Amino acid sequence: MATSGRTARPRVAVAKFASCDGCQLTILDLEDQLLEIVSRFDIVEFPEATSRRSPGPYDIVFVEGSISAPEHIDQIKELRKQARVLVTIGACATAGGIQALRNWADHDAYRAAIYAHPEWIESLATATPVSEHVKVDAELRGCPIDPGQLLELLTAVLVGRRPQIRDEAVCRECKRKGIVCLVVAGGQACMGPVTTSGCNALCPTYDRGCFGCFGPRAGANAKSWSAELLKSGRPPEEVWGLFAGFTGYAEPFRSVITELGKSKG
Amino acid sequence: MITSPALSQAAAARQWFLAREDLGALVEAIRGTGRRVIGPTVREGAIVYDEIQTAADLPAGWRDVQSAGSYRLERASDERAFGYTVGPTSWKRFTFPPNLPIAKAHKATFGFEQPAPSVPPVAFLGVRACEIAALAIQDRVFLGGQFTDDDFRARRSAAFIVAVQCTTSSSTCFCTSMATGPEVRGGYDILLTEIDGGFVVQAGSPGGAAIVAKLPTRRPSHAEAGAAVDNVESVRTQMGEPLPMAGIGDRLKLQLDNLRWAQVAERCVECGNCTMSCPTCFCTSVIEQSDMDGKSSTTERQWDSCFDVAFAKVAGGDFRARPRDRYRQWLTHKFSTWWDQFGSSGCVGCGRCITWCPVRIDVREELAAIAPPIAPVEHPMAVEPVAASPGTYSIARLASVRPETEDTTTLSLTDLDPAFLEGRPGQFVMIALPAFPAVPISISRFRANAIDLTIRAVGQTSTALVNLHPGAKVGLRGPLGTFWPIQEAYGRHAVVVAGGVGLSPLHGLVDALVANHDRFESVSLFYGSRTPEDQLFRDDLAAWTASKAIDVVVTVDRAGPEWKGRVGVVTNLFDMISWDCTKVTAFVVGPERMMQASVQGLISKGVPTDRIHVSMERHMECGIGLCGHCQMAGRFVCEDGPVFRLNDLGDMFNREGI
Amino acid sequence: MHARAMDDYAAVIAMLNHTWFGAELSPETQERLARLGEIQDFEADEVILHEGDAAKEMGILISGRLALRTLVPERGPVTILSVEPGDIFGWSAVLADTQAQSTVVATESSQALVIEGIQLRAALKEDHALAASLYPRVLKAVARRLRATRLQLLDLFAR
Repeated sequence: MATSGRTARPRVAVAKFASCDGCQLTILDLEDQLLEIVSRFDIVEFPEATSRRSPGPYDIVFVEGSISAPEHIDQIKELRKQARVLVTIGACATAGGIQALRNWADHDAYRAAIYAHPEWIESLATATPVSEHVKVDAELRGCPIDPGQLLELLTAVLVGRRPQIRDEAVCRECKRKGIVCLVVAGGQACMGPVTTSGCNALCPTYDRGCFGCFGPRAGANAKSWSAELLKSGRPPEEVWGLFAGFTGYAEPFRSVITELGKSKG
Repeated sequence: MITSPALSQAAAARQWFLAREDLGALVEAIRGTGRRVIGPTVREGAIVYDEIQTAADLPAGWRDVQSAGSYRLERASDERAFGYTVGPTSWKRFTFPPNLPIAKAHKATFGFEQPAPSVPPVAFLGVRACEIAALAIQDRVFLGGQFTDDDFRARRSAAFIVAVQCTTSSSTCFCTSMATGPEVRGGYDILLTEIDGGFVVQAGSPGGAAIVAKLPTRRPSHAEAGAAVDNVESVRTQMGEPLPMAGIGDRLKLQLDNLRWAQVAERCVECGNCTMSCPTCFCTSVIEQSDMDGKSSTTERQWDSCFDVAFAKVAGGDFRARPRDRYRQWLTHKFSTWWDQFGSSGCVGCGRCITWCPVRIDVREELAAIAPPIAPVEHPMAVEPVAASPGTYSIARLASVRPETEDTTTLSLTDLDPAFLEGRPGQFVMIALPAFPAVPISISRFRANAIDLTIRAVGQTSTALVNLHPGAKVGLRGPLGTFWPIQEAYGRHAVVVAGGVGLSPLHGLVDALVANHDRFESVSLFYGSRTPEDQLFRDDLAAWTASKAIDVVVTVDRAGPEWKGRVGVVTNLFDMISWDCTKVTAFVVGPERMMQASVQGLISKGVPTDRIHVSMERHMECGIGLCGHCQMAGRFVCEDGPVFRLNDLGDMFNREGI
Repeated sequence: MHARAMDDYAAVIAMLNHTWFGAELSPETQERLARLGEIQDFEADEVILHEGDAAKEMGILISGRLALRTLVPERGPVTILSVEPGDIFGWSAVLADTQAQSTVVATESSQALVIEGIQLRAALKEDHALAASLYPRVLKAVARRLRATRLQLLDLFAR
């Protein structure tokens, strides 16, 4: 079951595509457990932490970022070949991330608006999750990922079981924590009912409605929730933004956005 | 059951008056007895229950305005401390905490520690009539059955109840419909009724009387006593005509196919807020948290919800796969099958599920649309408290590991607690390893000093179990559940129908039938599996056949040319039954679809439905009727089953989404 | 295959009476079938009908066991159903110009009453009483098989 001794430490690589490195930083932020982690895992590739490079194969590859540039496609396929277990981390890698907003926009116009020399920029017209390109063994959601879920995944690897990562509404975490519902008592917009848990209701704890950065939970009734948000008097642009924000390219958020986009014109 | 010592009728009827400015004396007097006081306070735009230091923490001068999906606080025109109704918190947060560590396992010593609850004394201040009813329901759920929840018992016993009469109601309140209010009728240590200028106070227990004696009270005037009665009565008038709830349990049972379930499920976002806010919902799941060094792990129990998409999932599929199934499960449990299990309604009419539903579903509207009134039916209300028997772990040792098929393995366990050897065929155990959550596994065989568990490696725990080596330890709870009523086949044709891994819970029964074969008119085993390679217990099948005590007929769904036996579905085998089928007693286990086909086949041959016994499989986290996962209409499969008489299941057998 | 001339129709009728298929046929039909067919013995592994061949005969199994096999490319022959005593095989022969739907192999030494398709169809055409008695029985046997196939299709042991 568990690996024994230093020699059998799993070889771990951390790789990134289009992303802000925030999820990689979450790994480094596990200050209390870092020593424990490096004593049990052989971290051989980690651009955010070390310039040391080491070729595959790897036991575990953590992938951050979305597939956004032409060369990414071959790179992720090669990485998959080198990985026994491939884990995507963060909203970009699991759902396309904020970059995926361009999937509904005019790519060339975006590029021209942002870069001084758009002709130097080679990028794909869409930003897509890693799972659209290769098989993914596990996902850690969020922008950024939750350190607790990361630790659970690492621990589960050591113990030899499946990580216990629940897929339930953020509302469940609010209720267990005793947070008063921001929607019912505060009239705030919140993505909690359709978003998967794992953040321990971080934003609602600080009196902010959920931004949906962990993405849709299994069976999320996004259709009913968007209808309710509209019914409560929010303009379609606002509802569009709520669903599109971090994980809008993931179904069923994607269908809601497409539908709202049609009515928005 | 938790009940306070009785107070004489005269003492209970005695009333005092406490001025509003002296309310602090009550809080101080209670705190003076060493109790923390939990009560209402304003936080995050709502009146929640939290620790109270002084009377200044109470929500004096605040009122709540509630409707479906909406809750707002407003300043009231008076300074009443309890001029609101019920808020987002329910007392279950303190009797049944949302997160509770229930066990710790240590790998080195293979110890499963289940700490005895230690709960400091506490007082609940501001408990309403509907909430007292909810506490009584929790008592029945957690303490009224064969197995009890010690942590709940400790928390409930530690709580001193200061009840408050409602003097106003919200649009979401419907206690008068559920016959739980508005008047508080008992179940308190102290009762307050708020009137202009103060409170009419009554004691409900010697402890309550002792506190009241310390307060600066005087006898209320006739006008004050009268105002107290009128204020509560006005709430009843405010709420209007009660809903027609008579016979709602039976009415709902007739509406399981109503189209409205699908309609409401289209609106429902399955956030589970109704269940989390509900003062009686009790479903939980457990999660394992391991230390990184792998030496110890903690099992934590968490509030869960039957709206969770994975709530009723087992390895073979999901029994409540559609949102409509899950909504129906919740509503029918609250208002119908709760009666069957606990002798009361599961709803107290507090209205929290209406207020805190973000898509504004009103359970009263759904009930009226789905199950309009019909002639009322009387329900028995008899629940006898049974002595506690905690589901604690004992450690067993793995004696041997035998592969049965590609994915199924039989483990022989020895060094057992003697209780396991006294188990009966059909019963199951909860088996756990440190860091791995417990799973239910039926006992496939009883040996002199061992039991066998036959396990299909489909989940994390089962996979870890089948990879163990002889000598390894495992944690066991049990034996649990109902068993095969073998004596019901005496003098009759005993027919065992097994499909695939379903032979496992029947193995012990077959052993018993073979050993006592002369007590039966005949004994037969019909065993179907997908392919010859999927057959379990091949040596035992051969030994049974050789014994001549039982007629063993096996068939497979498909086979290669080397297979010379029967090919065809297991129901084809019934064609060979030549005897009088009214004299058959059948025992059936297999995947649910196979059981359904088999049961239909047996019935069409003339086997009476009260002579068919089946064993059901459901998701289980606790195995002792406390976690709510294995609920099947009005039954818990773990406690009321897994073995059921077919006609006891009624039309719940093989109904979609139950 | 070993065929025996059976002058003793009474013995054949007695055998038919012991079969699931034959027991409920009228005495006239039983006698007609006994005269139309012949009792045949098959050795273990003997192939009685080939999948795709013209469906030339129908049989009523009296003892033993037959396997209905179909050839699945890359998996070889797969037994999809076993025929147990009392049941029929080669029922397609009731219809003209049809092919055997599966290969029929004896998995152990077996005995059956076998009737030529051409003769059977001719008899059914001219003898309405025979048709009225036999068709429902064949239909029942086919319906039973259809029901079983449907259950197999559901894959009762699916995970």
